[in-house]
Amino acid sequence: MGGVVGIVANPASGKDIRRLVAHASVFDNREKRSIVRRAILGANAVGIERFVYLPDSHGIVLSALEDLDADAEFEALDSPETGTALDTMRVAAAMRERDVDVVITLGGDGTNRAFALGWRDAPLVAVSTGTNNVFPKMVEGTIAGAAAGLVATRAVSLQEASRQVKAVHVEIERERDDLALIDAVLLDEPFVGAKAVWDIRRVRTLVLARAEPAAVGMSAIGGLLQPVPESADGGLLVEVGAGGSEVLAPIAPGLYVPVGVREARALGLDERVEIRGPGVIALDGERERRLAPGQSARLTVRRDGPRVIDVALTMRLAACRGLFRMTQGEADGD
Amino acid sequence: MEISRETLLDMHRRMVRIRTFEEEAGKLMESGKVPGALHLYVGEEAVAAGVMTHLRDQDQITSTHRGHGHLVAKGGDLKKMYAELYGRVTGYCKGKGGSMHICDLDLGMLGANGIVGAGPVIAIGAAFSNRYRKTDNVTVCFFGDGASNEGTFHEAANMAALYKLPVVFVCENNGFGEFTRQERHQAVHDIADRAAGYGMPGVIVDGMDAIAVHEAAGEAIARARRGLGPTLLECKTYRYFDHVGVRGMGVIYRDDSEVLEWRKRDPIELMESRLAEQGILSADEAAAIRAGFLAEVREAIAFAEASPFPAPEALMEDIYTTAAG
Amino acid sequence: MTTTEAPVARELTYVAAVGEAFGQLMREDPNVFICGEDVSLYGSVFGVTRGLLAEFGPERVVDTPISESGIMGLGLGAAATGLRPIVDIMFMDFMTVCMDEIVNQIAKMKYMFGGKAVLPLTIHTMAGAGSSMAAQHSQSLEAWFCHVPGLKVVMPSGPYEAKGLLVAAVRDDNPVMVINTKTLLGMRAEVPEALYEIPLGKANVVRPGTNFTIVAIGRMVSESLKAAETLAADGLDVEVIDPRTLQPFDTETVVASVRKTHRALIAHEAVRFGGIGAEFAAQIQEEAFDHLDAPVGRVGAPFSPVPFSPVLEKEYMPNADRIVSEVRRILGKQA
Repeated sequence: MGGVVGIVANPASGKDIRRLVAHASVFDNREKRSIVRRAILGANAVGIERFVYLPDSHGIVLSALEDLDADAEFEALDSPETGTALDTMRVAAAMRERDVDVVITLGGDGTNRAFALGWRDAPLVAVSTGTNNVFPKMVEGTIAGAAAGLVATRAVSLQEASRQVKAVHVEIERERDDLALIDAVLLDEPFVGAKAVWDIRRVRTLVLARAEPAAVGMSAIGGLLQPVPESADGGLLVEVGAGGSEVLAPIAPGLYVPVGVREARALGLDERVEIRGPGVIALDGERERRLAPGQSARLTVRRDGPRVIDVALTMRLAACRGLFRMTQGEADGD
Repeated sequence: MEISRETLLDMHRRMVRIRTFEEEAGKLMESGKVPGALHLYVGEEAVAAGVMTHLRDQDQITSTHRGHGHLVAKGGDLKKMYAELYGRVTGYCKGKGGSMHICDLDLGMLGANGIVGAGPVIAIGAAFSNRYRKTDNVTVCFFGDGASNEGTFHEAANMAALYKLPVVFVCENNGFGEFTRQERHQAVHDIADRAAGYGMPGVIVDGMDAIAVHEAAGEAIARARRGLGPTLLECKTYRYFDHVGVRGMGVIYRDDSEVLEWRKRDPIELMESRLAEQGILSADEAAAIRAGFLAEVREAIAFAEASPFPAPEALMEDIYTTAAG
Repeated sequence: MTTTEAPVARELTYVAAVGEAFGQLMREDPNVFICGEDVSLYGSVFGVTRGLLAEFGPERVVDTPISESGIMGLGLGAAATGLRPIVDIMFMDFMTVCMDEIVNQIAKMKYMFGGKAVLPLTIHTMAGAGSSMAAQHSQSLEAWFCHVPGLKVVMPSGPYEAKGLLVAAVRDDNPVMVINTKTLLGMRAEVPEALYEIPLGKANVVRPGTNFTIVAIGRMVSESLKAAETLAADGLDVEVIDPRTLQPFDTETVVASVRKTHRALIAHEAVRFGGIGAEFAAQIQEEAFDHLDAPVGRVGAPFSPVPFSPVLEKEYMPNADRIVSEVRRILGKQA
């Protein structure tokens, strides 16, 4: 029995410039705190008594624990605080060393990407609190917690509850490698600047692990042309520019723009795409890495990303197994 | 967003001009040459430079007690600025305002302000006036994390959103309200979160990165000019010096290591390294720019020191507007 | 443009005189607008802005949230950038929630900026007790604002003054506070139809007299006139002076009167202690000490918040009877 659940809440998710240039709403940290509380209570209800968490710079988890009526131990992982994605990466590595059973992440694609950089095949329940989210899902915190707890206690096995997802590996010449969970994009931009990608005129090449027609963001451009679901073993390469077809795509919340596509073709798993600077590489919607003129990077879609727990499936399996039925004595409050 | 080479260099120059002005002003205060208290902007230059490169002279700004940087970046005359710090008659305010009331109405700089949180309500008035007079001018309201706790911010934010006024609220969150750390003066960490409560967009940018500020401010200002209403732009930045004066290290309210950590991301160094990478500005050219501003600053200080003090009868002048002017 | 003398006069209520002035001022100058709580659609809770919305539209007759700092700041920012705002603060008591804007910003901006700022701003408000509005909707706080360099303060005593002083205030290039008295709003008097100004800083001798001077402001002017009639029966010929503008105060007219009558009393509705009457009395004794045959008297409210119950409020409010008895007390004391 037992089982340890990790909690990572990214204070920075859901606040970038897409609030301004598109129509995304602010996802404030009070709400994140309240989701954390509900997730803890959900996991606690199915028997989780140990939690480890990232003491984030905004104190989301710490404040969620105040006055929380849960019979459990909470351990803050000691990690130097930088207020950047580095915190998430480091805590991911620390959680892996701790043998944490399941991690609940609160954030967007960017948060989960940072986590995967520290623990690439982590068992995750990803709760969406970011902007253009393809990777995490909108799921009620209570149930996210319960599902994480059921897997962590082995009431439902990780094998039956999860699928290992794809990731785009980014190998940059002479520099450290990087990773995207959904999309890696080459932009005709000189600077990282305000991070988010919203000016389609700057986009040159997309490498998509998933091309989702029901998504918002870069993934939608491919998805609306030639869908590639998560289950498909491969990705999609899209070359943006004039001279080919045009697709109307929501590249940020509420922001539909016509996107010229010169070429879109399926990519096999492990097939390499080479891109060359100058430019900036955006990973999962955020401008992250600069490529100097002539500097190259190789992008590859592989199925070696996080093991993502399907919350609905987990709950169904647990229910079918009668895990929530209370005995007569329990029902009487004995 | 396309940022031209000229704009990048312009932002760099504005930041260096602020830094040079402020460092020399700090020395003058330490040595007792200028009277009173100075609240210096060193460390926060990227915010003023990133925003001001979008503004015209007719666009107004409201400022704070830490206002020198805003005026320098808006194109202020350093001679008149130093003369004001020295309390001389040639100063921007004829020596009647000093550091905390430095202003240039011709440049749309509606004054530094000695009252924390005074700016937001003044800004909505200027923005109202811009629209009333059928201009497409915008008003940018600079304020700090401390000021975000004043009721005036709440009133102004609500009215700006209600009337869709052409105003941008730029929060310079430097982590401290005077000497009190942000987590000891408000329960929210991101002031941008509050925007949702007023019905306006609230975004966060790296306030040490002039390019990031410039991009976000550009969008917010363009939105305001188009009549789409206000934006709350929170710039995460850091005050290298103390609330008043220079020091800033070896103090009770923060660790030196924190200061050093932030200084690693110095806005001017960050810009210079990027400009160097892009082949836009060499180290020698950057040094020449610094030397140029130091010369401008020294000349301005000499001008101030050679300027006369106000005559005693000036005490009773400029209280009221009279028919004579 | 300015007509100082009234060609045709009719009787108007105080409310109608103010409303007429607003309309005429807005017709005269497109930069004039009015903003405040419920001034637009509702026409102000006192009715002074009724009809303006229909003529001038919501851009110039602006309803605001209940945000006095915001309203005052809006007026300030607009005035500093070329407009001529009229800012309405419904009850004078609410000035307390926008004191920074009035005292630290509006009053001082010109001086702090070395004379460069021009702030043609009118702050329009209602003061005074007598309607059972209790302690937070009944005060007369004019003395506070007379203490602040950079502000001008006027206090009309009737419909004629209300219009003429408001016109002068709006046309003035300085921040001017116009303090109306709620209990005068129904008062009727002759008011010229044309736009006319009552010059700021100039007192009015309302009733000439020879042997006693009463300096009265706001509602106390009409009370003093009543008192003067009563005292006439005692053989006293009272001169009643309405300063009309409290800041700048017309010391000259008042001192000239005291030099003639040798006795003076100040009457205002505000609390006596620290009231503006103390300043007036000080100026009289400084300038006319040798002419005084008796101490300068003062009638004002007791040192109490304004009470709610009509019985207590009646006890609180200065009136003609109190002026009469104070004058008689002073006369009994004279050397």
